[in-house]
Amino acid sequence: MKNNYDVIVIGAGNGGLAAAAYCAKAGLKTLLLEKHNLPGGSASSFVRGRFEFEPSLHELSGSGTPEDPSASAKLFNDLGAKVDFCSHSETYRLIVPAAEDDPEGFIGENGVRVKVDAAMPSGFEKFSRKLDSLVPGSYESSMKVFRLSSLMYESFGELGKGKINPVKFLSKYGDVLKMASHTLKECLDELGMPEKAQGIFTAYWCYMGAPPRRFDFLYYMAMMHGYIERGVSMPRLRSHEMSCAVEKAIRDFGGEIRYNSEVTRVLMQNGKPCGVEVNGKTKLFADYFICNTHPNFALADFFSPEEVPADAKRKANGRPVAATLITVYLGMNRTKEQLGIHDYSLFIAPSDDSDEQFRSVQNKINTDYVIINCLNEVIPDCSPEGTSMLFLTGITYGDVMKGVKPEDYKKYKTQVADGMITRCEKALGISIKPYIEEIEIALPPTFSRYLNTPFGSPYGYQLDMWDSMLPRTIQFGKDQPFDNFLFCGASQERGDGYGSAYFSGEKAAGKIIKKIREGK
Amino acid sequence: MASLLKKFKVRDFISIVANRQKRFARADDSAPSGTDAARELARALHPKKQYLKVAEVTERAPDVKSFTLVPDPERGTSSLAYFGAGKYLTVFAEIGGMPVTRAYSISSAPKASLDGRYELTVKLVDGGLVSRYILDNWQVGTPVEVSAPAGNFEYQPLRDAATVIGLAGGSGITPFLSMAQAIRDGDEDFELILLYGSRDKANILFADELAQIEKDCDKFKVVHVLSDPAAEAEEGCEKGFITAELIKKYAPADKPYSVFLCGPQQMYEFVDKELEKLDLERKYIRHEMFGEFHNPASQPDYPGGVPETVKITVTQAGVTRTIEGSPNDSVLQILEKNGIAAPARCRSGECGFCHSLLISGEIYSPPRMEYRRMADKQYGFIHPCCSFPLTDLEIDVPEAK
Repeated sequence: MKNNYDVIVIGAGNGGLAAAAYCAKAGLKTLLLEKHNLPGGSASSFVRGRFEFEPSLHELSGSGTPEDPSASAKLFNDLGAKVDFCSHSETYRLIVPAAEDDPEGFIGENGVRVKVDAAMPSGFEKFSRKLDSLVPGSYESSMKVFRLSSLMYESFGELGKGKINPVKFLSKYGDVLKMASHTLKECLDELGMPEKAQGIFTAYWCYMGAPPRRFDFLYYMAMMHGYIERGVSMPRLRSHEMSCAVEKAIRDFGGEIRYNSEVTRVLMQNGKPCGVEVNGKTKLFADYFICNTHPNFALADFFSPEEVPADAKRKANGRPVAATLITVYLGMNRTKEQLGIHDYSLFIAPSDDSDEQFRSVQNKINTDYVIINCLNEVIPDCSPEGTSMLFLTGITYGDVMKGVKPEDYKKYKTQVADGMITRCEKALGISIKPYIEEIEIALPPTFSRYLNTPFGSPYGYQLDMWDSMLPRTIQFGKDQPFDNFLFCGASQERGDGYGSAYFSGEKAAGKIIKKIREGK
Repeated sequence: MASLLKKFKVRDFISIVANRQKRFARADDSAPSGTDAARELARALHPKKQYLKVAEVTERAPDVKSFTLVPDPERGTSSLAYFGAGKYLTVFAEIGGMPVTRAYSISSAPKASLDGRYELTVKLVDGGLVSRYILDNWQVGTPVEVSAPAGNFEYQPLRDAATVIGLAGGSGITPFLSMAQAIRDGDEDFELILLYGSRDKANILFADELAQIEKDCDKFKVVHVLSDPAAEAEEGCEKGFITAELIKKYAPADKPYSVFLCGPQQMYEFVDKELEKLDLERKYIRHEMFGEFHNPASQPDYPGGVPETVKITVTQAGVTRTIEGSPNDSVLQILEKNGIAAPARCRSGECGFCHSLLISGEIYSPPRMEYRRMADKQYGFIHPCCSFPLTDLEIDVPEAK
């Protein structure tokens, strides 16, 4: 019997969209199935009153330059998809509030007592100079960090060219492998970065889906390099614009997309996937599958236990789930200037030590750790005149919703949001609550509902040292449950982030395109 | 460049890969868990569908009935999803081969859902197909299929004032009745002063229930506003319509208050003008959804030269067919009249469930009903429930699950 499709892609998250787009572009008969009625997964938007909120994207870490596109920019270039990006030259500002009696406390820019108040610009030189002005003696070590990350990107370029001479490669890029086998902390110590400067430099760990003392330097710099070099970029019409652009490319290349189409079962033949059952009724067959559903839930929901190879079960059980988010979306009836907010990305942390920050969000929701984003800083007209939009994010690890009953959930949500907003008000010495015109609160069940991942985590598995980017890359083939069923998304080699997910989709598609062309 | 990480060895890297293999070899090889507390909570609050049956029918007034709905374990629903007062359920029905949906606010207390009871109150709408069908056909034992509770017409303490002036018209009382009970039960904490417009005393719904809650709970007050000029002046009743003056009379003078509106479309049009006079901040005015939009040609920005009938080529789950309809009907209505089920919930443009792709052709989308995302407009996505065809169309509509 002839199969319906060459490739069926399960899930239209960023990974699935990219996978389907590259498959369709290569001329494969491609079907993309999505259980919700929108493309993008995290990359979407929602409307409340006169505001259209960005649900998940904090920043594309630099959309790159024409000569050197980032992973997301590369996708749009490859697909000929047009997205209108807005950019911003600041990176982040870290504020660590200080208690009244803290001897290290001082009055920060907002007139509130703080231990740290560091607003960091983009550009390696500017960033390092700023760090040095905050922590004298840190300039040299900071510039070394960027020399290493530049070397790292150069080596990625070499690897991408295909055939390499291992001896030459090692003599030139030995430091890159060292970066991959030592933690961020170990490397910053080795480069002689002062402890206090490390606190500022590692503040971005919260987006990494792993604790700072346990992930490798290479992974951190893969995320930070473009961000610090070029600053922030954001799609003008929220990340839904990016999803629509890729979605359209899939259709233009002849791919088919079906929404409200939930895969309820993967059909097996001779111990291998041969098709899918959709919405519990329709059966569709294909030679290859790319799955954007989180592996733990895909293996549990789509297969019976005996169908899943033991190795795939071990890989699902043996990896801790990455961070889960709490997000409060606020439509404000005042401008950012009226509110007294002047930064796009503000981290309010409970400690100046990144590892202590991580401990404070283990298995509990800690409203003292909040990231504030104000989209109007990057896109001034993203909300109507006289208004602004804020986006508060908290981080947590573990199954933190245990014990919360459905009937208590609304009060619980409000209490968490209240705590986060109050924390921001106090840390910045500003007033937020009287000006809230629209509010939406997303807790792990919200993300679980829309993203269908363990604990509602959008970040895949923790990229711990032992399971980090390079080891995952080397063992990519072994990590897939079947040779015709490949995963993509945040669970894959580069972890979380839009660019990482797009890359994972492109990679899975590439493997399948190659197999089909080689007639395997 | 000389090594910047002299202390470290390149070979350390090799052990990392081997270590990874070892870690996995030690891991548990039982089936991965398909659940956790976040997923369970999401499923409990947002079931895909709820299969219920009618347990009780109560006549509230001529052409108004309340239906008590309970879970139908035989069809897979053993408990009801909890909800915040103000939410609605979408009812799925098939009437004469036509798959239809209607959203009705839940009129019972959130707490009652924990005991396995929802109440929906249905009033006959002039020429209303679904309300007529429900009033004529639902009786004790009738199986009913509904969505999870949905909607944004809810009290939110971080956004709304501590006092809410509720403006209800006709069957628009239902979400307020649920809110009043939630306040009484301690599930919500705000003061609700309800101005409830009815034609005359006989048309007031839930008069006794509202009076009882008012007695039991000092955070709730109801004022009946009777519009029939012939209606007798009653003690505690106001006569006429809900005006700015009337709102001022009952609203707190010394602190902010929110205004929540739920009622027929004509009421919104009237009351919105009255509210302008009060000069309230926009955050303090909240509307329940507008409801299905009719008669697009009456709108000032509706273009001319629209044909009498249009052809729509619809693709759904890979199957394509061509149907015909009137430009007076929304794309959603045309689909339904041709026996095609679309994934519609709120039918007011807000929920986005019917989100579909317009491949070719032109539609009219009334400004009041425009809740589409910006990129949707750029990329040709429409909400069929409030899109009216101006030409022949080609569309791709997701399956109704």
